[in-house]
Amino acid sequence: MKRRSFTLMAAASVLGVGVLPRISLAADTIPVGSIEVLTGPVSPYGIAIRDGETLALEEINAAGGVLGGKKIALTVEDSAANKDQAINAARKLIGRDKVVAIIGPTLSAEYFALAPMTNQRKVPVIGTSITSIGATDIGPFCFRTSLPEADVIPAALRKAMARGAKTIALLYANDDLFSKSSYDQMKVAAETAGLKIIDIETFATKDTDFSAQLTKVKGLKPDAIGIAALVEPTAGVLLQARQLGFGAETQFLGGNGANSPRLGEIAGAAADGIMVGSPWFIAKDTPQNKAFIAAFNRKYGKNPDQFAAQAYDTMHLLARAIDKAGAADPLKIRDALMQVKQDGVMGPLSFNAKRDPASAEGVLVLEMHAGKFSIAP
Amino acid sequence: MDLSWLDDFLWTYQNVIHSVGINGLLALSMYVVLAVGQLSLGQAAFMGLGAYSAALMTLKLGWPFWMVLPLSCVVPILFALAIGLPTLRLSGVYLAIATVGLGEVLKALYVNIDYVGGALGLTGIPEATETWMIYGLLALAVLAFWLVARSGIGRAMEAIREDETAARVMGVSCFRYQLGALVVSAMLAGIAGALEAHSTSLISPGEFGFEPEVSILSFALLGGIGTPIGPVVGAFILTLLPELLRGMADLRLVFNGVIIVVAVLFMPEGLVALRLRRRSA
Repeated sequence: MKRRSFTLMAAASVLGVGVLPRISLAADTIPVGSIEVLTGPVSPYGIAIRDGETLALEEINAAGGVLGGKKIALTVEDSAANKDQAINAARKLIGRDKVVAIIGPTLSAEYFALAPMTNQRKVPVIGTSITSIGATDIGPFCFRTSLPEADVIPAALRKAMARGAKTIALLYANDDLFSKSSYDQMKVAAETAGLKIIDIETFATKDTDFSAQLTKVKGLKPDAIGIAALVEPTAGVLLQARQLGFGAETQFLGGNGANSPRLGEIAGAAADGIMVGSPWFIAKDTPQNKAFIAAFNRKYGKNPDQFAAQAYDTMHLLARAIDKAGAADPLKIRDALMQVKQDGVMGPLSFNAKRDPASAEGVLVLEMHAGKFSIAP
Repeated sequence: MDLSWLDDFLWTYQNVIHSVGINGLLALSMYVVLAVGQLSLGQAAFMGLGAYSAALMTLKLGWPFWMVLPLSCVVPILFALAIGLPTLRLSGVYLAIATVGLGEVLKALYVNIDYVGGALGLTGIPEATETWMIYGLLALAVLAFWLVARSGIGRAMEAIREDETAARVMGVSCFRYQLGALVVSAMLAGIAGALEAHSTSLISPGEFGFEPEVSILSFALLGGIGTPIGPVVGAFILTLLPELLRGMADLRLVFNGVIIVVAVLFMPEGLVALRLRRRSA
């Protein structure tokens, strides 16, 4: 009996901590929220995004903040890649922290889960890593700064065609949302560009054997092979393709998932020659990018990746929008977001009428050599 | 009196409040099979069938929610009857593996059928679940289980759980009770799935695989399966913990884990280590 009452007391005190009102933020700060995957297997992406936006935040606040001297107060919540926790976090940010805008979430599924609610509540949500078709169609308060793959893949396809490719085979992981959406857009892009799709093969993300699919593709002799999958299975496909005798005459193309330094680390020489389209590249030779990389290295002691770069640009764009709105009001900030423009580390950034990035000018085609990406000649 | 803070509070925690109740229903769906000594791990799969069938009825057929909610248990129940016959011949870990396998098969099906949204799942499901529906059903389920547990049926179920062979010798039809428990389990999980689908606007295949199944099992085990209250308490605590610990940021998962380990070590019978009192026959 005694133990039971102790348990009840413990439970009550834990509950109490959660319910107590937090000390409200000082009135001279503008509350902004962010929801990212900070724990679990997907956390490298979420942490990169948090690092990028935090760096931008420090720069904004050090330069005098927004709205004539007010600082932005950023609250980053963890979603643990779970849709319920992402919704809970969004409701907490809006209901308790009274944020004027939310950056994130990390995953498309989380975005689809929370955006109808935030849209109804009229708070702008800006995804920095959402590439699925239709995400911003949810409503007028749904934005993203990540280029949909439909804007990134054509650049790589055009480069392959310029090198003489006329036919292509597509391979994709059909059990993973990111890979499936990458494939959908790769297929459309290939059809639009005029490449002939001669075969489509599927596998599962955790597969380790792709020989059946690759043997079939080899018999058809395509000029190019597009792989839409996360980095590990992409590396697996490449390693096995080389074993089966695919040589330099076949141009490999990767989706967004292949755009990671890890591809070279896993696949080594087997990945040589693969091309990907990328909205950002570390060796991009612009003054903004050089300043960003130097600042990122000073703060975190490592190089940024594409996700950090997108988040960094997004936070700067949002600060601009708050300034332009003239008030910490989500409705005015939404309208301002539709108008702001900036020239950031990824290139020119602004929103089109569908609240997607307006320009794909910054897209680069990267090619792998000796385990490292460089800008394709 | 200004009650706007209450509105704000309810809005902020609406999804938490909903998840807590829905997970309570799922915990009961696990409780009912554990109560007849079956480690059947198909609850997440049943929930998925309920969620997908309900979402399809709403999205593709445009049926109203008051029709969809009761109908959402039809597919899970049919599925339970179909798999009950072959799998109930198994017991213990073999039954667990077979039922987990079924869940994974369904998950693979959802991923590969474009009609149900493929890997993304179904989006844009209208919000129709009200808090009172969840807690009304939960209260009803707890009450029903409590009454059943105190009746002769409950006595037979306990006999099967403690020693199946002895129960059979005493003339208890084990198969009938076990199939019945499986069907009730499927019904509850299916309704929980429909409530979940209409509470958040997205359902995706990953929500109905092995990992959620393990969470549902841990609700029941943490709470204790001596009474129907135990699993519900377990679900409440395990759903609330991650939200209550939000302030701890990076240490959140660590504390979550420590609390569960301590609870299991010191309270092996579950947090609610009660046993039902029954009038002696």
